[in-house]
Amino acid sequence: MTKFILRRVLLGIIVLLGVAFITFFVARVVPSNPAAKWAGPRANPEQIAKATIELGLDKPLVVQFGKYLMDLFRGNLGNSLRTRRPITQELLESLPATVELVLLSTIAAVFIGIPLGVISAKRKDKLIDHLSRLFSIGAVSLPTFWIGLILQLVFFRILDIFPMGGQLSTEIKILMDIPKVTGFLIFDCLITGNFTILWDALWHIVLPGITIALYPIGLVARMTRSAMLEILNEDYITAARSYGLKERTVLWSYALKNSIGPTSTVVALSIGYTLVNTFLTESIFTWPGIGSYISSAVIGNDYPAIMGVTIFSAFSYVLLNLAADIIIALDPRVRT
Amino acid sequence: MEKTMKLFIVLSLISIFIITGSAFAADTPTFAVYALNSEPLTNWDPAIEFSNGIHVHNNMYEQLLRYDSIEEKIIPMLAESYTVSEDGLTWTFNLRAGVKFQNGDDFTAEDVKFSVERTMQLAAGASYIWSAVESINVVDPLTVEFKLAYKNPLDLVAATGYAAFIYSSKCVNEDNTWIDETPGCGTGPYMLRSAKWGDEVILQKFDGYWGGWQENSIDIVVFKKVSETATRRQMIETGEAAITVELPYTDVEVLKNNPEVVVSVNPSLQNLIGMFNTQKAPLDNVKLRQALAYAFPYQAVIDTVIGGYGQQSYGMVPAGLWGWSDQLPRYEYDLEKAKALLEEAGAGSDLSLVLTYTAGNEAEKSTAELYKSELAKLGVNLDIRGMPWDSQWEMALGDPSQRQDILMMYWWPDLPSPYSFLYSTFHSEDEPLFNLAYYKNPEFDQLIDGGNEMTSSDIEAAKQMFIDAQKMLLDDAASIFMYDRQDIWVTYKTIQGFKFNPAYPTVVFFHELTVQN
Repeated sequence: MTKFILRRVLLGIIVLLGVAFITFFVARVVPSNPAAKWAGPRANPEQIAKATIELGLDKPLVVQFGKYLMDLFRGNLGNSLRTRRPITQELLESLPATVELVLLSTIAAVFIGIPLGVISAKRKDKLIDHLSRLFSIGAVSLPTFWIGLILQLVFFRILDIFPMGGQLSTEIKILMDIPKVTGFLIFDCLITGNFTILWDALWHIVLPGITIALYPIGLVARMTRSAMLEILNEDYITAARSYGLKERTVLWSYALKNSIGPTSTVVALSIGYTLVNTFLTESIFTWPGIGSYISSAVIGNDYPAIMGVTIFSAFSYVLLNLAADIIIALDPRVRT
Repeated sequence: MEKTMKLFIVLSLISIFIITGSAFAADTPTFAVYALNSEPLTNWDPAIEFSNGIHVHNNMYEQLLRYDSIEEKIIPMLAESYTVSEDGLTWTFNLRAGVKFQNGDDFTAEDVKFSVERTMQLAAGASYIWSAVESINVVDPLTVEFKLAYKNPLDLVAATGYAAFIYSSKCVNEDNTWIDETPGCGTGPYMLRSAKWGDEVILQKFDGYWGGWQENSIDIVVFKKVSETATRRQMIETGEAAITVELPYTDVEVLKNNPEVVVSVNPSLQNLIGMFNTQKAPLDNVKLRQALAYAFPYQAVIDTVIGGYGQQSYGMVPAGLWGWSDQLPRYEYDLEKAKALLEEAGAGSDLSLVLTYTAGNEAEKSTAELYKSELAKLGVNLDIRGMPWDSQWEMALGDPSQRQDILMMYWWPDLPSPYSFLYSTFHSEDEPLFNLAYYKNPEFDQLIDGGNEMTSSDIEAAKQMFIDAQKMLLDDAASIFMYDRQDIWVTYKTIQGFKFNPAYPTVVFFHELTVQN
């Protein structure tokens, strides 16, 4: 078990080093002068020369890469060329909003996707199975930005029951003190017992939440369904049934437990995918998260910030994969 | 029992929401949301910010003067009046009495000296506008004197939208860095209330503002990044946003017929030019450059690329800025003339030219493509290359034999003077910086330098000099002056008193606005 995990961790570190290497050198190859960007529009050559030294761009590439790695190791992603602020700090500021969205969609994936898959498998080829499969295929294949815009049009513009975007209503923001404890808005409202703001925040997260959650729900439902179908044909299920165990127990505890392996990998990977999906959704729903941050960085050619987000995304992928591996490793059949 | 308990909890939660919800419905302050296409600012330091922050900073901070480029006059702000010495090298500003900073401190001449000296010392952003200043002396608490190294219109410099702000010394650390998000650093009508970096800035009314407040003015202003154009459009249509900019032209056409919003189209002081490489063959030949200027499809570009929201330029100074003149000649689109001039220039049939434009800018790209197809009709091959601005610029400054033939770029003013348009772009330079036509004409230099010196004493004479100078650029066909772009603002119907001032691009001075329900 320990050996298995250690190997996975090591592999993860190699992947991250690879990503760091590629992003660093790609950013250097791209025809752009970071010093000019740092110095600002209409800077003169002296200002740019000064910026080159400030940014350490006059040193050999290998030295720069070494320093970059050292900084990365300390959690320092460098400074943004546009704002001159530490990227780590900027990321941490925009991270909570995204994490809330991603968490919500993952919870939805687990609590809606899995039961949907189980029921679908149980009632194979019945109406409910067809409907659930239709839903899953739709959820997985419809483009996120399209869903976002349609939801906005229907629920904000036509029906006017959900707000168009943002994390909170402007009125709430200007009239009330927004609790800031951890930076996670919904969580902060909960622990400070601020229900008015909580209510408003929940109201705002519904549309972007659905937009993002649809994909993982569909994916998890499909995955659970196929895993369950396979398991329901196993001998031990037949045995359990012939012992006269309640169908509910057979389904939800025997069969589901054994299908959790592939499903958890899918959940973990879909978190990574969801993180990327927020990039579009956040800009549609003016959600102040990482997606919004990266879009500004890309438009502004802010390479250190783009690199920072890339490394961060890779890091989350590796971490989530590791978590999935560990969950699977809890299954004695996988331990080798 | 359990069910009753649940019901009780749900009911009490609902009542909490209703009570708290209705409690603040009664006396909500008036607020306005300005939906911007990118982040409200990129640096809190008013001495450094040279980007989006122009929106926020011009509501929080004030300059000594402002410039009204519609009426063409100076507006007194922190300085009530000013005088210039005979030699034009000493400027004395008489400051407004009774002005307070938002933190309660009195505004004095010391603050002016501190702010401008620090801005110059940091040498970041647009601080170069002050380069003529040699020293700043405090004469008395309400009088400050600037000594210049050379003649320069300091009133226009002091009215600039960037880097001319007066701020409190309390907002700066011992090591001269700005303390981000310090409240009360300016004298402006709005002060910082809260902010979420990269997303929004919320300002609130400063009650002690020297300019006073009119009835129904806006209490709270929210500058919000809304990058998605479809969302911005919905926000303005429903009144969620009070003002927005940068909507697609097709949306603007639809919004014009929407009674909920007001669309205003104004000059922007931003123009698109295509600078010819006047130093390198084949474009060192003036006849050839003239031919190329005649081959540019001016109206087609304006109609298709910018949806008709612009006009063909008269020279380098854009419409809306003094020094612009419709008496200047223009090259009209005329392929016959172009052909004749090409022949006169003795250009072979294998003429091939390189044009660079800034990658990512759709307008520049489409313009380049339209131009390419026109030149193809003349048998001229235009090799168009979209590059990030810094590499486009690097190529333009690099090895002269490898430089582009035509460089396309937008230009915009840093200070409200034609000199800002003509000096950086066409004044002779030993090492090129922004004169990327590599244009060298001592007569032209003399004219615009003279115009700049004359600006503060005889603006009419200065204007004429700038117009004559542009005539030279046109005769020499140093550049294609493609179009002057217009800005499109969409305001919600309840917003009153909106005035634009192109000297402060896309800035909304919220102090001037009122809300009519």
